[in-house]
Amino acid sequence: MPKTMLGVIFAENPEAKMGELTQYRSLAAVPVGGKYRVIDFILSNMVNSGINSVGVTTRYNYQSLMDHIGTGKPWDLNRKQNGLFILPPYVAKDNVDRVQGGVDVLYGALGFLRKSQQEYALIADCNTVCNMNFTPALERHIETDADITLLYNVEDIPESELEKQILLNLNDASKITDIHVYPTSKKSDNVYMNMFIIRRTLLIQLIEDCVAHGEHVISKDIFIKNLNRLKIFGYQYDGFVHRIDSIPTYFAFNMALLSKENRDKLFSDGNIYTKVKDSVAAKYGKDCVVKNSLVADGCVIEGTVENSILSRGVHVAKGARVTNSVIMQNSDIQENCEVDSVIFDKDVTIRVGKKLMGQATYPVFISKHIVV
Amino acid sequence: MKSKECLAMILAGGQGSRLGILTNKVAKPAVPFGGKYRIIDFTLSNCVHSGIDTVGVLTQYQPLELNTYIGSGQAWDLDRNNGGVFVLPPFMTAIKGEWYKGTANAIFQNIPFVEQFSPKYVVILSGDHIYKMNYAKMLDAHKKSEADATIAVIEVPIDEASRFGIMNTDSELKITEFEEKPENPKSNLASMGVYIFTWDVLKRFLIADENNKNSDNDFGKNIIPEMLKSSKSLYAHRFDGYWKDVGTIQSLYEANMEILEDNAPIHLADNSWKVFSRNPIKQPHYICDTATVRNAYITDGCSIAGRVEHSIIFEGVIIEEGAVVKDSIIFPGARVCKGATLNRTIIGADTTIGEGAHIGASSGEDVMDDFLNTKICSHDISIVGEDLYIAPNVKIGKNAMVDRDVRESNVADIKSKAANTEDSTTSREGAQVYA
Repeated sequence: MPKTMLGVIFAENPEAKMGELTQYRSLAAVPVGGKYRVIDFILSNMVNSGINSVGVTTRYNYQSLMDHIGTGKPWDLNRKQNGLFILPPYVAKDNVDRVQGGVDVLYGALGFLRKSQQEYALIADCNTVCNMNFTPALERHIETDADITLLYNVEDIPESELEKQILLNLNDASKITDIHVYPTSKKSDNVYMNMFIIRRTLLIQLIEDCVAHGEHVISKDIFIKNLNRLKIFGYQYDGFVHRIDSIPTYFAFNMALLSKENRDKLFSDGNIYTKVKDSVAAKYGKDCVVKNSLVADGCVIEGTVENSILSRGVHVAKGARVTNSVIMQNSDIQENCEVDSVIFDKDVTIRVGKKLMGQATYPVFISKHIVV
Repeated sequence: MKSKECLAMILAGGQGSRLGILTNKVAKPAVPFGGKYRIIDFTLSNCVHSGIDTVGVLTQYQPLELNTYIGSGQAWDLDRNNGGVFVLPPFMTAIKGEWYKGTANAIFQNIPFVEQFSPKYVVILSGDHIYKMNYAKMLDAHKKSEADATIAVIEVPIDEASRFGIMNTDSELKITEFEEKPENPKSNLASMGVYIFTWDVLKRFLIADENNKNSDNDFGKNIIPEMLKSSKSLYAHRFDGYWKDVGTIQSLYEANMEILEDNAPIHLADNSWKVFSRNPIKQPHYICDTATVRNAYITDGCSIAGRVEHSIIFEGVIIEEGAVVKDSIIFPGARVCKGATLNRTIIGADTTIGEGAHIGASSGEDVMDDFLNTKICSHDISIVGEDLYIAPNVKIGKNAMVDRDVRESNVADIKSKAANTEDSTTSREGAQVYA
């Protein structure tokens, strides 16, 4: 396996509407689950599957992403051979502002794809969270002699949320018969995970072909257009899958981690790696009350925390109450504050005695560095 | 090899036999501390923060876990192109091979290692103290006084001074006399086991010491007194921060409990002097609806459903519903099952405490005292070794050292084996090579 497949991760996904969470950072670098960034899951999955050459394509605001993944050390991707390659936008005189879809992003990564030796490539969005080993999918890809294998899971998605999904129809042999890109009504429960396996050289050909014809979109211009010409198969994944593509789904994913069942599914197989911070263990005060919460290292809790996710270094002062909330790194909730159904970005301070209430379906979001 | 002005040698080969079962499988520097650390993290982090990027770690007793833990040194930023951290076990040469006979002999045997870097100064440290200290300041003092050796000292209460190596100095802190554990101490300046030597001077004394067949090859007992005898210039360097020798169960327990205090004497969360360690690859910890957590340190991978009070919980520990953990320290991966109670205990890594079991001080009268071991344990502290199984409803009292599985069925014959417990600790003590 190690020599046979490389990985490409898109640090952005234009369909994901994350509001201010991605104002100053890539989608891939959005903090999630107490100590992680969105990209940690797919990157760890690749490494756990024996992939040791990963290109991460970036488009804008990638400073925090670079800071997070650095040389790839936490994922053991700081290698002499292969390793981690950050692929910033390929800007030349003739292609400024020409990036209109995944094809253009991959075109920018052609250098990486061409010089690589691996036979296969796994192309993935960063924001489909799962703990998946890709080895069986690659084996199936080889076994079925497929040109492209699309990874999908079976999920009953409400019609209102279909506009961001790609649905697949398959025949009994798992061959894809139809693809519905951002449909308005339900065509199938097979939901594409925005990950596909393809022979590296074929990918290069297809990208060059698309670019030569002014085509930009992977799903339409590579998959659908070639549905009859190429052998495109589906591979069903049965584990925990959560797509982070909006503030509500972001909030829901964090809250899903409060369930033991979900945590077991997401964390018990392969290790999920992230940048280490060497914070001290979380400190619980003498009068704190903490229930049903996920707490990262470096937190100091002196007040009440319920049904919440606290990232590293969060401080909840005496008499403060945090419920149903996602609080990111180093936020400071001062004495006697009360917050419910909020998302605090990094370094938010809420001063003594203030109250902030959101709704479970519509949490209040406070941006980085804001002092309330 | 590019030369280094100063390098550090950490003596990490001691067994720490007074820690009993806790150092059965690991060397003392690898014993967990403070929820996230191993004892040696403090010394290694001090080196890095003091600008020392070349560190030799001398190992001997049960080095496997320590070697694995240190690895390439990346956790402390000590994976360097030029320098870095080196684990130095005893080795064979064409002529002979031998164990490290004492602290001075350990450095003597590694003279070729030190010489590779042609340092002007060498810092000699032990890997078993909890403190945050800037060795660069001490090195400055060493250079300024043009000393041959500088020894870090800390003031201790005069009535405790007879437990330490005491430095008698003049008003300029020049050492006039060194007394190892004096009955009637003349000063309260205790050696912290932190030495800076001018290397060419130390090297001469190491060689002379090695040739002296009557020597114990020990820094405190031999090298320092010899240097004083030869009128070398030795200075004391005062350190006024927190420093703790965690060589006994009581002191290890106390040092852990001290970090839980409101004004903890050592500031672990200080970002300008972080204590680096190998961070576990585990998710943030989870506190359940049924849990009560008060005054505790808890870290990644834990799942808490019971009651935790005034305790330190290491990575991946599971505390089930109804369990009560009080005044205790639980090492990585242990599980405390439903309704079990722990009171003033240290529980070894990966050990399971069965449902309804009780360990530690208790008001109940039906407590087994089969594991009572007042030689290792005191102050009502009980310890349980690593990777053990304590069956449901087993009750073990205070000052106990549990060193084997306790299955309900064998409660009866534990009594007959109890005598062996004493024997085995004695023999381990005899095997100690240097501490």
